[in-house]
Amino acid sequence: MRKAVSLLLVAVWAATPVAAWADCKEHRGDKVVLYSTTDDPSVLIWDSRARLRSYYGASFDEAQAMLPHSILVAPGTRATVISCVADYIESPIFQRPEDAVGVTISSGPQRGVTRWVLGSDIRLMPDHH
Amino acid sequence: MKNEPLANITGTLLITAFLLVTLAFAVQGAFETRTEIAHTFSRQAQIQQAQIELEELLRLQIDEENSLRGYSLTRDPFYVAQYHQAAAGYDAKESVIRGILHDQQLSGAGVLLGAYSALQSRWRAEVARPLLRHPRARLVELDKRNKLFSDYETRTVADVRAALASIEARLVASTQLQLNRSAYVRAFWVLVFGMLALLFNMYRSRLNRELEQERTITEILQRAFRSESVPLPHCEVGSAYLSATRQVAVGGDVFDVYRLSGNRALILIADISGKGVDAAVLTAFIKFMVRAIALRHSEPASILAEFNEAFSKAVGNPYLFVSMFVGILDTATFTLEYGSAGHDCAWLRRRNGVEQLSVTGPVVGVMEEPFYSKTIELNPGDTLVLTTDGLTEVRNRDGKPLLSAGATELIEGAGAHAQELADDLVEAARARGGARLRDDLAILAIRIMDTERVYA
Repeated sequence: MRKAVSLLLVAVWAATPVAAWADCKEHRGDKVVLYSTTDDPSVLIWDSRARLRSYYGASFDEAQAMLPHSILVAPGTRATVISCVADYIESPIFQRPEDAVGVTISSGPQRGVTRWVLGSDIRLMPDHH
Repeated sequence: MKNEPLANITGTLLITAFLLVTLAFAVQGAFETRTEIAHTFSRQAQIQQAQIELEELLRLQIDEENSLRGYSLTRDPFYVAQYHQAAAGYDAKESVIRGILHDQQLSGAGVLLGAYSALQSRWRAEVARPLLRHPRARLVELDKRNKLFSDYETRTVADVRAALASIEARLVASTQLQLNRSAYVRAFWVLVFGMLALLFNMYRSRLNRELEQERTITEILQRAFRSESVPLPHCEVGSAYLSATRQVAVGGDVFDVYRLSGNRALILIADISGKGVDAAVLTAFIKFMVRAIALRHSEPASILAEFNEAFSKAVGNPYLFVSMFVGILDTATFTLEYGSAGHDCAWLRRRNGVEQLSVTGPVVGVMEEPFYSKTIELNPGDTLVLTTDGLTEVRNRDGKPLLSAGATELIEGAGAHAQELADDLVEAARARGGARLRDDLAILAIRIMDTERVYA
């Protein structure tokens, strides 16, 4: 199952316009750490970028109904960037549109899982470059 | 012409009233602006207070969640107490903010706060309580729901924050507007005041110019109307004049000492019924008319008779009359020939006493009866004292007039020299009548010098 999802994501990468990558802060292969806000640093990762976008535009009840499609990962979970769509997620709570970033989790119980995460929920690892 | 002073006063009062009304409007406007700005500042302070309280509310909400998370990880009851403390703090703070929003009638922000609190209540019901009841329950789903609540509460708080910030921005803009308006209004009033002050100044300058012109004319007229006396050979001449009209130095009394030839002098004192400027105009007429007649007639009776005729024709007012004393003094022989037209205020002070000179005819302007003359011989040291009834009629505090007898006594005790005598009589009249006289008072004293000095 995981393999199939990975293949699917690879197909999505191929379809992603090059320009979208160009505007992203992250690049393929970047090692990142997942960390949300200081108030609640745990991060929801999503099985599709469309769902990720819907979550930030949905009402509470709609968002609650979408929760089974997400995984909550602990802050500090490591991941590798495999895809990015610049300015994909718009919401009134954001100053500007956020990137949707595809990552493969590389630590913790969800290791090896590939999911979509909000651009502002990832931090580049300091020693990456 | 008579209405000009009234018009001037009315104009001054109108401009002053307009200035005062304008000033009142300006002051009222300033107070209104101050009140409005104070009210806006008060609202702004309340909004800022609500913003601070909101941040505190958010911190308490996070405290609740963290306490719950701590309990689910450690199962230490300490975190339960922390949770309840944070929850109570949250409820109290939420109530405070709700009160502020209600007071400020911020229903939009109130609705958002309600949505936030509803989320928190649901979080407590759907996440917190189940976890507190079953601390060993599987946390994954609850954690996700917790995250969801957290996200949405953050979102809602952001909305409340934005709403408050928007209101504050509006208030700041409103304050700015009020301040601008206040500045414009103030500038307007300054302009109005400035223009009114200029108008007022111009108006006052014009009035001053007119007053100055009137004063100049008055001075010229007073010079013409003033009683006059010239030095006479072997005689001292003393005089005094007090007008019952405070603003002018002329009145209805007049005296005149005028040299008709080398040894002959005309001595005149007259009292016109009435006083003030109108009476003063007649004094000039009397003075110059009597002089003119005296140049042609040597007898006082003839002078009075001709003057009586001329006065009646020229004045044409049956209610106006003049009491007058006309004398022709020969300064070589010291002979005084006089005619008194109803003027009983004439005395002769000799070494052995004071004698009141008798009246020799009716007052001028009343009837055409004949006037008579009398001749008296004067000796060195004798003093002819002529006054108007301002002296005999001067009243003391009890309202009692001095009368002729009182005047005779005063003259008897007055200074020896002519001017001393006149001054003493004035002082006595002032002392008796107070600061203000009811009638004009003219005094003319002519003293024949002592023998040694006369023949020296």
